[in-house]
Amino acid sequence: MAQARTAAGGSKPQKKQPQTTQTSRTLARRETLSAYLFLLPSLFFFISFVVVPMFICVFYSFTEYGLGGVKGFAGLDNYIKLFKDPVFHRGFLNTLLIVVVAVPTVTAFSLWVASAIYKMHAVTRSFFRCVFYLPVVTGSVAITVVWKWILHPYNGILNQVAGTTGFDWLGTQSTAIWFIILILFTTSIGQPIVLYVAALGNVDNSLVEAAEVDGGTKLQVFWKIKWPQMMPTTLYILVITTINSFQCFALIQLLTKGGPLNSTMTIMYQVYDTAYRLNDLGYANAIGVVLALIIAIFSALQFKIAKTD
Amino acid sequence: MKKIIALLLALVMVVGLCACSVEKTTETQAPETQAAASGETQAAASTGEAVEISLWAFNIGGFTEASNWDSLVASFNEQHPEITVTVTPINYQDGDQKLTTAITSNQAPDIIFEGPERIVGNYAREGLMVDLSDLWTASGSDIAEGISSVSQLDGTYYMYPLSVAAHCMAINYEVFEAADALQYIDEETRTWTTDDFVAAMEAVRDAIDAGTVTVAVPGIIYCGAQGGDQGTRALVNNLYSDYYVTEDGTSYNANSENNVKALTLLQEMVNNKSLSANASFAASDELQAFANQTCAVSFCWNFSNYTQYAEQTQFTPFAMAFPSDDGKPELEMAGPYGFGVFDNGDQAKIDAAKAFVDFVCNDQTAGTEAVKTTGFFPVHADWGDVYADAEDADLRAPFALMSDYLGRYYSLTGGWTEQRALWWPMLAEIMTTGADVQTAADNYVQQANANIG
Repeated sequence: MAQARTAAGGSKPQKKQPQTTQTSRTLARRETLSAYLFLLPSLFFFISFVVVPMFICVFYSFTEYGLGGVKGFAGLDNYIKLFKDPVFHRGFLNTLLIVVVAVPTVTAFSLWVASAIYKMHAVTRSFFRCVFYLPVVTGSVAITVVWKWILHPYNGILNQVAGTTGFDWLGTQSTAIWFIILILFTTSIGQPIVLYVAALGNVDNSLVEAAEVDGGTKLQVFWKIKWPQMMPTTLYILVITTINSFQCFALIQLLTKGGPLNSTMTIMYQVYDTAYRLNDLGYANAIGVVLALIIAIFSALQFKIAKTD
Repeated sequence: MKKIIALLLALVMVVGLCACSVEKTTETQAPETQAAASGETQAAASTGEAVEISLWAFNIGGFTEASNWDSLVASFNEQHPEITVTVTPINYQDGDQKLTTAITSNQAPDIIFEGPERIVGNYAREGLMVDLSDLWTASGSDIAEGISSVSQLDGTYYMYPLSVAAHCMAINYEVFEAADALQYIDEETRTWTTDDFVAAMEAVRDAIDAGTVTVAVPGIIYCGAQGGDQGTRALVNNLYSDYYVTEDGTSYNANSENNVKALTLLQEMVNNKSLSANASFAASDELQAFANQTCAVSFCWNFSNYTQYAEQTQFTPFAMAFPSDDGKPELEMAGPYGFGVFDNGDQAKIDAAKAFVDFVCNDQTAGTEAVKTTGFFPVHADWGDVYADAEDADLRAPFALMSDYLGRYYSLTGGWTEQRALWWPMLAEIMTTGADVQTAADNYVQQANANIG
């Protein structure tokens, strides 16, 4: 212990303690200041383009706001209208369906693929990562064009293969939403797979080996050793996939425009449709505020559950 | 030292970000016409006060690029070197979004090139447009009453028109010939009766079944929520000679006896496969299907679409009026397309904008060039046939003929935008789910009338 004290400075430096403390405080202050200065540019843009518009959005949601500007204070009218609006109800249920189906399947499939490829040879692993990541970098317009061609009622490859020429997959209420979910799934798995491959590579191998030596089965090793270590990654994937699913817009805009008969209408698309087609900006802001609240609640729940785990 | 470096880094980042944003602005402006630059030079040389105005132009006919406006702007600058006109082309896919964003952030353009539905129905109704009555008083005496009436709101003119045409439909001539269906059309007047239409479509269906023709379906009723609704509207309204809106304009009319009869007929035709209906198809999908011979008729045809798809069509697209029970169709106006001036609070810009509109629409040389670029026909009766000497006069003749069948204009009825959002679901419900026609039409009218004002 004495050696340790000596090594750490012993009793001699104690005389100089006030000066050292002051120096370290000054250093800490400088580092803090530097950190804030580095943060400043992004903070400026974050406040200007995210925080301020958020407050503006909340303000406008309480107004009667159209193309000609704010016509007056609407109180809670926009929110009352929202809860009576059958299109919003349909959009809310569809959004929930997309989240409830897409988030677990994307997470589970990504984990499964990552588990299958992370032990492969580096070249093979990179190949698979590229393949699964391609839809992410391809861009939604290109992807939807391809899917539109696949699902075309008269010339589409799906109908040619299935022998169902003329069947309108995106124009039928019972099938349209499932194809939206399927396409969303294909575009959402790339990033989680890459993240899971990285997370699996970071799992402490000594613990895995110890568990295997102790006779743990593969499933036990996975659940007891690997899964807890991957929890931060899983939480991140859950949160981003949930937010992406809630904000599913481009696919719907490009493929179905919320139809047929609102069967693919989502809250996010309704915000756009209400603002830019119907020019009812006050109501669109109210829908946007409710969507933000729903996403916040879901994200908070996910954090809570993950912490409990 | 560390602090100084941190400060410098922060400064570099801020400047870098600012530089990025400046670069982005430049890129956004890049597509704008070069005429702006030349006009600027002339304006500087002029003794008059230099004014810069912006024109946002929807892609009507050949006005798809900013460069299509170059010669018009250059001609205008010969008379008004002090005015710089910057043209920004917009399209029907995201034009509304861009305009809404611009208007709500007080950056509306000075001039918009579109039709009365947006200029009068949307923007003038919101009090955003300038009174153009002086242009009408000076030069609008030879413009038809129908066009004049849709250019105004409550007695004030907010739009000054340039060109007009009629929406019609088209058939694949060779397919109809092979299916022995040409007997059901009057090739001279390009009209047909409802019974003839039904018989023709059944003939095409039978020819498909027999393998005589290669199209997949006789025709497609597109129910997707995107433009082109004028086609399905005109089809329904003409079949039993009814109107989209009641005569006094106080109610939408899809649930009238004749319109319900028409919708029921179309539903039956879908059921017996002499027509097809697709809820995922927008007008553009149907046009593409017509162009690549997936279907034998298009319900969304005009000269502009003809030129757009001309290169793809390996057959003769034969323009036809919509079928009607008495053989006397009433077609919807394509346009009239013209200009509106936004009230941006700057009188100099408003005057400059009016001068530009006046030049393009009333100067016969410039106006004829502009009309020809739209591919439609001049609103000035005094200008006569501007295509008389054109090489493609024969191709345009059928579309000129359609102008004889122009009917009432509905698009300024209150709640027009909202009812468009309701029309498609009603059509999809009736055509693709077999819903009761009267109930679906009643629901549509009830909801549409709620916004009629």
